[in-house]
Amino acid sequence: MSADTAINQQIDALVKSNDVIVFMKGTRRFPQCGFSATVVQILDELVEDYETVNVLADADIRSGIKAYSDWPTIPQVYVKGEFIGGSDIVRSLYASGELHAKLGAKVEAVDPPALTVTDAAARVLREAAASERHPTLRLSVSASFQYGLSFGPQQAGDLVVEASGLTFLVDRGSAKRADGMTLDYDEARSGFHIVNPNEPTTVKQITVQELKAAMDADPNIRLYDVREEDERARGIIAGSVRLTPALVEEAMQLPKDTPLYFTCRSGARSNRAGEDFIAAGFTRVHNVTGGILAWARAYDPSIEAY
Amino acid sequence: MGFATIDDAVTQGIVTAVSGAIPGAEVEVTHGSGGHYALRVVSAAFAGKSLLDKQRMVYRALAPLMSGPNAPVHAIDRLETVVA
Repeated sequence: MSADTAINQQIDALVKSNDVIVFMKGTRRFPQCGFSATVVQILDELVEDYETVNVLADADIRSGIKAYSDWPTIPQVYVKGEFIGGSDIVRSLYASGELHAKLGAKVEAVDPPALTVTDAAARVLREAAASERHPTLRLSVSASFQYGLSFGPQQAGDLVVEASGLTFLVDRGSAKRADGMTLDYDEARSGFHIVNPNEPTTVKQITVQELKAAMDADPNIRLYDVREEDERARGIIAGSVRLTPALVEEAMQLPKDTPLYFTCRSGARSNRAGEDFIAAGFTRVHNVTGGILAWARAYDPSIEAY
Repeated sequence: MGFATIDDAVTQGIVTAVSGAIPGAEVEVTHGSGGHYALRVVSAAFAGKSLLDKQRMVYRALAPLMSGPNAPVHAIDRLETVVA
């Protein structure tokens, strides 16, 4: 028996002995490519348990599965021995509800999300729509709250939402995560700005440039430096105050929507301090990534790295 | 006057491969980063076929460009198959 035949039989056995199996890059918990991650995210929602094979861990399986399925890309999904396809097809079958049927999962009715589009955002989008082949906007919100907004045609299963004279198409998976969100456009910050009540509150990571812009806009922002005095003696961001235990007590009494900024040497300790404030219910917590080292590089070369 | 680049050659290779395998197909190729490409293929030959079969027709044509360690095409980020 040749090696190719052996691999083919091994794959055939895997496909036939598992109701749902995915040949992917990485594992269910740690997908190592965006296409594989998409498939895992969808299957996680629809089925309790399924098998995955990490092709990065086995070069023979990696080339073998391509020949077995006559399909040149990874991931590849099989259900009850039937080849379903790659991430494009899985996404499309999920959107239309056909994947639910194949997997025996119930198609739950999904309501179109409520979207608010500010006048500024609507104006920019209407101008852009005028020169598009498909003037409808596809909006997606991933499980990790990465946003996608592009012009494109309607796909099966899309929910249609009219807002501010624009037509938005939202796939079923994104609908719940998009519900109640506001899309704004800020000329000064030259970009779309999203406020989404479904986003879990986390410490927002900002660059020193973003910190500087915030300080220029409001010189009185609360910027807490979590380093000790001896470290602060090496250099500080003007306007920062040392976060002493007494100051922590005081800050905790502030209204929970007060914008707070945290910094340290490189951004690790200040992030932990920020998480404490998130845990205490604060909603607008910022951590300066790179800390004083990044600030020194960008704005104050007199501060020596340490 | 432009310079012919490797990317142009790969793009041309994709168009030639797909239109050779699916006669009369209109092929639009967009080059992303690295060996990533997006394709839009319009053909009457897609009529009545499932999405899997439509994509398979295109992927079969692309297979030689996608196999081996030095494959010029690493991934197809988007593949749109449209019935003409």
